[in-house]
Amino acid sequence: MVLENQDNRNLWEKIGDFFSANSIWMKWYCTGCGAIELPPTMTSRFDMERLGMGPMATPRQADVLLITGYLSSKTLRRVIYSYEQMQDPKYIVAFGSCTINGGIYYDSYATINQLDKYIPVDLYIAGCMPRPEGIMNAFADLITMIKKGQANGWRHYQENYEWYKQNQLDSLKEVIIHDEFHE
Amino acid sequence: MKEVKLFLGPQHPGMHGNYSVHMYVDGDIIKKARPTPGFLHRGFEKLMERRLWMGNLALIPRICVVEPDINEMVYAQGIETLANVEVPEKAHWIRMLILEMARLAIHIMGLGGIGGPTGMYTITYWAIAQRDLILDLFEEITGARVYHMYIVPGGVRKQLPVGILDKVSKLLDELDVKIPEYKELALKHPIIHKRIKDNIMLPADVVWELGVTGIGMRSAIGKEYDLRKVQPYARYDQVEFDVPIANYSDGLTRMNTKYKEIFQSIRILRQVIEKMPKEGEVRTRVSTGSALRWTVPAGMVYSAIESSRGEYGYFIVSDGKEMPYRIAVRGASFPQGLLGIEKYLVGHRIDDASLWMDTMGVCSPEIDR
Amino acid sequence: MMNSMNNIIKQIDDVLTITNSEIITNRQFAIDINSGDVHQSLAYLKSIGFTQLSILTCIDLIANNEFQLIYILNNWELGLFVIVRTIIPRDNPAFVTIINIFPGAKYYEREVHEFFGVTFEGNDSYSKPLLLEIWDDIPPLRKDFDPQVYSDSKFPKRDLDKIYRSKIGGVD
Repeated sequence: MVLENQDNRNLWEKIGDFFSANSIWMKWYCTGCGAIELPPTMTSRFDMERLGMGPMATPRQADVLLITGYLSSKTLRRVIYSYEQMQDPKYIVAFGSCTINGGIYYDSYATINQLDKYIPVDLYIAGCMPRPEGIMNAFADLITMIKKGQANGWRHYQENYEWYKQNQLDSLKEVIIHDEFHE
Repeated sequence: MKEVKLFLGPQHPGMHGNYSVHMYVDGDIIKKARPTPGFLHRGFEKLMERRLWMGNLALIPRICVVEPDINEMVYAQGIETLANVEVPEKAHWIRMLILEMARLAIHIMGLGGIGGPTGMYTITYWAIAQRDLILDLFEEITGARVYHMYIVPGGVRKQLPVGILDKVSKLLDELDVKIPEYKELALKHPIIHKRIKDNIMLPADVVWELGVTGIGMRSAIGKEYDLRKVQPYARYDQVEFDVPIANYSDGLTRMNTKYKEIFQSIRILRQVIEKMPKEGEVRTRVSTGSALRWTVPAGMVYSAIESSRGEYGYFIVSDGKEMPYRIAVRGASFPQGLLGIEKYLVGHRIDDASLWMDTMGVCSPEIDR
Repeated sequence: MMNSMNNIIKQIDDVLTITNSEIITNRQFAIDINSGDVHQSLAYLKSIGFTQLSILTCIDLIANNEFQLIYILNNWELGLFVIVRTIIPRDNPAFVTIINIFPGAKYYEREVHEFFGVTFEGNDSYSKPLLLEIWDDIPPLRKDFDPQVYSDSKFPKRDLDKIYRSKIGGVD
């Protein structure tokens, strides 16, 4: 499915997008190996705070969810949970080839192959793993997309909720998380 | 019931990596804890049976994200034992250079990582920036920042670039000055000192019960149980270094041991630079034909080295075909990350859980594989 | 080093019933033991200095319809590894736990059960899922499990114009 790009926002939405683009909170969730390049991106050397971005511990206050690499089906359940907890507007940036087509785990029994079947992805960063420069570049692109009203993944998720839910259930069987104590 | 069920992770800023500890708490005290691994499970052991011996080189660094080079080393070392490959002298020294630089990088990151769960972010910022300078050198040597794929069966992939050894010694001189500041800032600072002193204990009998190795073991039992000393691989028998030990394993002792190990790594690296042969091959050709058709003679071997967290090993089985028959990975933090959390986190406070993970160096990708 | 290892092998051979022993490198050796003698042997090895269980794992010998359980013990004092091997049948694989000798084996046994389906009597948590969640197929590390088929049936792939794949040794 292709995310549509036409701009039919009203004035207030444009103003809102302008401001939210300049203060993005990134959710602190290391889902895969690309997360090892996030500390350099966040701290002094690459310093993503100069783009107005900062890390945020809780999903309800966060704007952008980073899928940093491969996703095992066990993690995908939690990712869907925490994605649905986030407030609109929310954006997803997917790292690395694993989220695009499975990468080197194409035949693994535990990892998914195509992320945008389950949750809407606004931006992909290619590479295994993306360098901090690549991540910074992607964040700059994300900001431009939000300002132009092109980062519409969350709206797409609402409109096609049934389709996404069906895909999730087909691959995961159930999204509900059970007791981890197994008792 | 007064007890409350609490999830620590996987989405939690105090959690190191994608890992989770679920617990029942009464007030602030943990009554029952269960580790929940598997969020990073990719099925490596199965995937490696489906790749060629040389094709696996791309896969193995990804088993441990923070310290990938140890994977390359155990894999190469195991195959060399099975296939009787002689490694050139210079390659041994280059391997030691890579391994010790990797140990420096992860120890510095570990020193900084303690800032996350304690809320002392200055040390985190310092350490990550310092580690990046080491990654820059890696990039110059191997072409990649994190996953190097540099140590291959039969040696290393290519010669060192010209002038790199000078840059490494310059970095070491810089570290010599800077790392003591880390101690002042982190380990003596009341924010961190109070939290880890006399807390998160790992007594000697627990060490043997769980099978903990590495820093956790050495700072509890006071013996120099380091595979670099006990079973020297590469050329560790030709360099002089001490193994820092202690007899009282609280969190602070473990961090101090880690701090002392940084200086021993610096000392090893200085000797490596001095003693490394100037000339010579760095890679033995393991096969005359195509690397795709290369087979390893049948047999099994357990190849282990000392990682920053303890004994890290691969158990490699070959049936003489083009692909491995079975490879089992012994993650160094398996004991303290699973059974340790289940049994010995009980009675601590909630905020000690991430300190346990941090000072023991629990690395979730190597537990999950 | 070689001498002390030969001495140890000899010492073990005198006390235990070993069906076969093999020297792998000058720092490690392997011994084959009948499945009935494993606990006694591990306890003896622990008493002579092999105090650490490095890994407990399993090999699927599908050609012989057998599983091979592997216990690798580490002697830190001498710097020696011993690989203890034993064979159990592949149909209804069952074995007895070693957590009373090496408590650290608890999670290794749970993992072996998850990956190979071997049951461990006496370990009350061996059957709980560890790394996998809602698993609905045969244990994944058995040789007759094909991850490609499982992945294709579960996780949809992106439609690509052309997929490049090499053929080696008869396997795609």
